[in-house]
Amino acid sequence: MDTLTNWRERLISKTSRPTLVTTYRYWLWLALLTVVLINGMYQYSTQWRNGLYVTDMRDRISWGLYITAFVFFIGISHAGTLISAILRASKASWRAPITRIAEFITAVALIVGASFVLIDMGRPERILNVYLFGRWQSPIMWDVMAITTYLTASIIYLYAPMIPDLALYRDRLSKKVGTVRAFLYRTLALDWRGTPSQLKLLGKAITIMMLIIIPIAVSVHTVVSWIFSMTLRVGWNSSIFGVLFVAGAIFSGVATLILVMAILRRIYQWEEYLTEKHFVYLGYLLAAFGAFMIYVNINEYLTEGFKLEEAGEFAFRQLFIEDFAVMFWFYIIGGLLGPVVLMLIPKTRTIGGVVAAAILVDIAMFLERYFIVVTGLRVPLMPYEPASYAPTFAEWSIFAAGIALFCLLITIAIKIFPMFAVWEMTEEHEAVFAGADRAQESMATSGAPNAAAFIDGAPDQRQRTEGDAP
Amino acid sequence: MSHLRVPLGTWIRTLLIAIAAVVMTAAPVFAAEIEIAVGAPERVSVGQDVEIKALLHQDGAPLEGAEVAVTYQAAIAGESGRVELATAVTDATGTAIMSFQQRADENGEMQVVYLGPDDDPVKPHTFTIAVEAGGEQLYQQQTGVRIPFVNGTLLIVVISGVWFLIALAAIYLVRVGMAGRITDRPSSEDGSIWISVALAAAAIVTAVGMVIVFVRAPVSNTHITDPDGYDRTIVNYLDVSYPYEGFGLDDDSDARTGDPLVDGSVLYFQYACAACHGLTGQGAVVGGALVDEIGSLSSFADDV
Repeated sequence: MDTLTNWRERLISKTSRPTLVTTYRYWLWLALLTVVLINGMYQYSTQWRNGLYVTDMRDRISWGLYITAFVFFIGISHAGTLISAILRASKASWRAPITRIAEFITAVALIVGASFVLIDMGRPERILNVYLFGRWQSPIMWDVMAITTYLTASIIYLYAPMIPDLALYRDRLSKKVGTVRAFLYRTLALDWRGTPSQLKLLGKAITIMMLIIIPIAVSVHTVVSWIFSMTLRVGWNSSIFGVLFVAGAIFSGVATLILVMAILRRIYQWEEYLTEKHFVYLGYLLAAFGAFMIYVNINEYLTEGFKLEEAGEFAFRQLFIEDFAVMFWFYIIGGLLGPVVLMLIPKTRTIGGVVAAAILVDIAMFLERYFIVVTGLRVPLMPYEPASYAPTFAEWSIFAAGIALFCLLITIAIKIFPMFAVWEMTEEHEAVFAGADRAQESMATSGAPNAAAFIDGAPDQRQRTEGDAP
Repeated sequence: MSHLRVPLGTWIRTLLIAIAAVVMTAAPVFAAEIEIAVGAPERVSVGQDVEIKALLHQDGAPLEGAEVAVTYQAAIAGESGRVELATAVTDATGTAIMSFQQRADENGEMQVVYLGPDDDPVKPHTFTIAVEAGGEQLYQQQTGVRIPFVNGTLLIVVISGVWFLIALAAIYLVRVGMAGRITDRPSSEDGSIWISVALAAAAIVTAVGMVIVFVRAPVSNTHITDPDGYDRTIVNYLDVSYPYEGFGLDDDSDARTGDPLVDGSVLYFQYACAACHGLTGQGAVVGGALVDEIGSLSSFADDV
């Protein structure tokens, strides 16, 4: 057990390092993000003053980069759901080191994604009308409902499993950090002592959230797809859009998780916890979803192309051989086929290979969102020339600010919150020491077992905890 | 120069003769004037069938066979003019009855105008009718399949269930905090359960709020209160006289191709007619058919 204790101490030390150590590079990074964010805010202020005229969106192509960003960020928010909830429900023990990061990505991506809806509005102050005059016949209203539900559920699902770790920070770091963070840990830890009753209650909360967050997440991106597919518009009028969007969301969510993991691993030397195994497993997920996406795309375009109605010809031309062909084929070959190939070849089945695949996927999925939004609106409904759309500097600036905000929130979160689920990881590690039988017992479905063991000042609760763990 | 002086009596006689000549010449004209009297309700509500009675007299006698119309002043696409609501021909008593359904939530200045067959100008009769806004929604999708139990109520149940579980999880967190409180410790070291209380409260308030929004959603198959008593959303009815100016055309050559069908299409979209009246002008959920009004996209282009 001495080895286990040492391992746990090292883990706590490594986890809390970002909280305790701030290098000049951190401040530089923060400054860079702030500059990008301020530029975006300035550009938005011009849009606020002058209206959407500062964008290239007009009456015919009325959605562009903002809605693309909205769909993209909502998509990557699915990282937390898949990795955390689905793997937790399926008792995949390797998930432990990556769940917290994935859950943070979910919450942050949702906040950023939802803000793009407001940005896309010419009169954002009218958002209240959605609540005052909401009509449930409108897919926009379904979207508001789904995202509100998902955001609330995600925050609770992020917070609940973090309580034991926040208690750990409260006990270990309160005297090493400033008063604000000490207060924060004390407040957020909810007087966690790891008592049997607390464990039982926390287990119930986590189990409830784990089970409901999966259908909520699926519904969210399905509803996002319905904004398009409930429209009688060539290119959007599809019954398979829900599946395409959900699969694409998980696909890009996993890719973003891989990228964030790779960056944090390198900066904070977390190689011991974020191992090659984690990257390769996530790479397999990428490949599986890449293959599934290829299947869904064939299904979508072949059935439409075989019947090919009159207006469909224009949609197919612009996508396959004309204006958007480069984007489309990069998406198919680079973004969908590429990850599958990279994971099939043993030599590229490495951290580098997985990261390369993740970069391809994120770029491809962004492009996919873009051409879905723009090409659909570009198909003329009446006999006139198709409109063109090219995002303006203001749009690119605001989009960049969205990415900067995403990075900034993650960067700040790293500084405050434990990025590893210490108690879950210790439990997993402990299971290796204690043997298979014990492992089976302690990785019980509730997800809130022996967290009491890791609360300082409560060593005597260890036995009680083990006895009461669900 | 005194021999040129005309006596006052001569002046008076001449003037009287002149007046008599004018009166005699113009008498038939005055006698032929057509007078229009109108009987109309003072107040109507949207959706109500309105009957306008016009009584025409000529030379004091009822005028039979005269065509009259009831119109109101409107503006669309930067063009203003009078919209004709109904026409009728007078009977032997000089009476014409014109009926229409009140669609606009305001009418502005209404007139009964004489359309002939006499070409002489006839002063129209101007009047107003007060319109009570709201009332019946005139255009609703008529198609639909009602599937038992698959409706808005089911959706409310699902949403409520999800939010009940979210709130339940948050309440468990409140209890986690309460279970960890140690009363004999100094208060400065105490944590707080406010964050979990706030989460639970937010979840409950949002859940209740969503259901309220849902229940209040107007006039739909998911609306669970009485639709007839519902009057919250302003519905724009056909014929409402909003002076829509549109954005104009950046390049008006799009609407001057020479092909009236193409020009009409461009204008029809440019002025957002299609938004309410459907892509072909044959009606949609919000606005009814315009085919009779505009004839065709070609004639629409000519008109605009």
